[in-house]
Amino acid sequence: MTALPRDVADALQSVTHTQRALAYLQVDGEHRLIGAGGNLDNYGLGAVQLGGQAIDQAVFLEGLLPLPETPFLLPSIELAGGRAADLHFYAHDDSIWVVLLDVTAERDQARRIQQKAYEMTLLQEKERLLNRRLEAANAALRTTQLELEASREALARVHQRVQAELAEAAGYVRSLLPPPMSEPFAVDWRFVPSTELGGDAFGYTWIDRDHFALYLLDVCGHGVGPSLMSIAVLDVLRAGSIRDVDFRDPRQVLGALNERYQMRTDHDLFFTLWYGVYRPASRQLDYGCAGHPPAILMDVDTRSVQLLKVKGTPIGLAPGISYARGTVAVPANSRLYLFSDGAYEIECPDGTTMKLEETVDFLRQPAADDASDLDRLFEHLMQRHGGVRLDDDFSIVRCSF
Amino acid sequence: MAVAQPALQKKICMLGGFSVGKTSLVKRFVSSVFSEAYLTTVGVKIDKKTVDLDDRAVNLILWDVAGEDDVSTVKMSYLRGSAGYVLVADGTRLSTLEVALSLRGRVEAELGPLPFVLLLNKSDLKDEWAIDDAKMEELRQTGWSVRASSAKSGEGVEDAFRELAVRVTAKQ
Repeated sequence: MTALPRDVADALQSVTHTQRALAYLQVDGEHRLIGAGGNLDNYGLGAVQLGGQAIDQAVFLEGLLPLPETPFLLPSIELAGGRAADLHFYAHDDSIWVVLLDVTAERDQARRIQQKAYEMTLLQEKERLLNRRLEAANAALRTTQLELEASREALARVHQRVQAELAEAAGYVRSLLPPPMSEPFAVDWRFVPSTELGGDAFGYTWIDRDHFALYLLDVCGHGVGPSLMSIAVLDVLRAGSIRDVDFRDPRQVLGALNERYQMRTDHDLFFTLWYGVYRPASRQLDYGCAGHPPAILMDVDTRSVQLLKVKGTPIGLAPGISYARGTVAVPANSRLYLFSDGAYEIECPDGTTMKLEETVDFLRQPAADDASDLDRLFEHLMQRHGGVRLDDDFSIVRCSF
Repeated sequence: MAVAQPALQKKICMLGGFSVGKTSLVKRFVSSVFSEAYLTTVGVKIDKKTVDLDDRAVNLILWDVAGEDDVSTVKMSYLRGSAGYVLVADGTRLSTLEVALSLRGRVEAELGPLPFVLLLNKSDLKDEWAIDDAKMEELRQTGWSVRASSAKSGEGVEDAFRELAVRVTAKQ
């Protein structure tokens, strides 16, 4: 190979010296620094002293000496002060020459490119991770959705079964109600159970040829439990079967029922009851009231009304309660209405609740057509409620004396 | 009266995939600082830190070697003369553990068995942690020193370098 002409080689060395900040260290076999020169300050090596251990003054040499083979290159080493150098190692005359060439600009250029590439790769990794998490979240969501749909279907089946049971219970209550009668006076009624089935029930019966009992009760709450209790109470009243109780006396009936159906032994259930006994011969009506809305006695000719109510707590709240009795003369051509709170406590769309007075006033109005006042009242309540079904049982009994 | 022995000097290499936190661990150890900014390393960056052990001081010459990626592998020539190394993986990126394990195999093949500590770094990112306890225990079962670390909080950093300093000077 032809050697470079002297002047070309000198020019190259000059370029390397100035542009690459050439510096060198010379280390002997005992690892002592025996020579140094060039741009040592560029690499933070300006203070090296000849004769000392090389690895104490140029720590990057730690572990590298002795070199098993040369030449040897360590590229892009960042030294104290932040400059990057390629370290070239050459063996010559029993010593090692360490030549440092500045590559800071190349290092910075490579760093900019590498930085972009790494940031892009990290973003892609993060995107893949997020996608995996998203897929996992979607899968979990789908599972939850399926479970929810299954729960909803199960709930719908239970709801349907409960509705069927409630409808069955309402049908049974209805079967126990007496049919309307027309002689010797007319009795008619309407019974429209709510969706959830309330605890309303009523009845009327001749105790003997001179005494006609009529009653309407409302067990607290909704559902099968209250309905079953109303059936049980209705059965007792229909049979007139409480020992030592004169069913012609409302006070005795209410008192005896209160002792029999205490809420602490009857699943926390209690009920209200209006109970009356009519004596046609004297046109007298005795009545008692256990926390129930008053009955309305209306003179049809004058449209005047009396609210028939005496003091009395609901049945079942506490034992040992005495009940009062009211007595009223029943005018000719008059009507008696028994009902539960479902006949007036109607929730209206505007958030207000209907009052008893509105039902009383409604019944006082003369009929504009041939429709029964009971049906008209129900229609009125439905309009006021603004819904398809009322929230509570609608029960009303009308006696026309 | 115990006589203090002269300071030793040992070369320690930082090895691992890219962006696992090698440079941040060195900064935390040497300067007790941390920066969220990521600046990639090209080639090698050399730092020095003196660790005081019970009987002597040890100058650790830390070679922060550029991370390995899909394109470029770590130059084994950088490890010449190393007394030990710190193997670093990013605990939030499982793939970096595979890179670290691969590197360990190559180092051992090239230089023989050297003391090392495996750091699962970024332990402050609990919500993103991808290496479960069972995996860490499995690695420990091989007899390796495995630690969770965080250059951000400092967790495990000082202890890891100190442990390595003790191990590389054990036969001096």
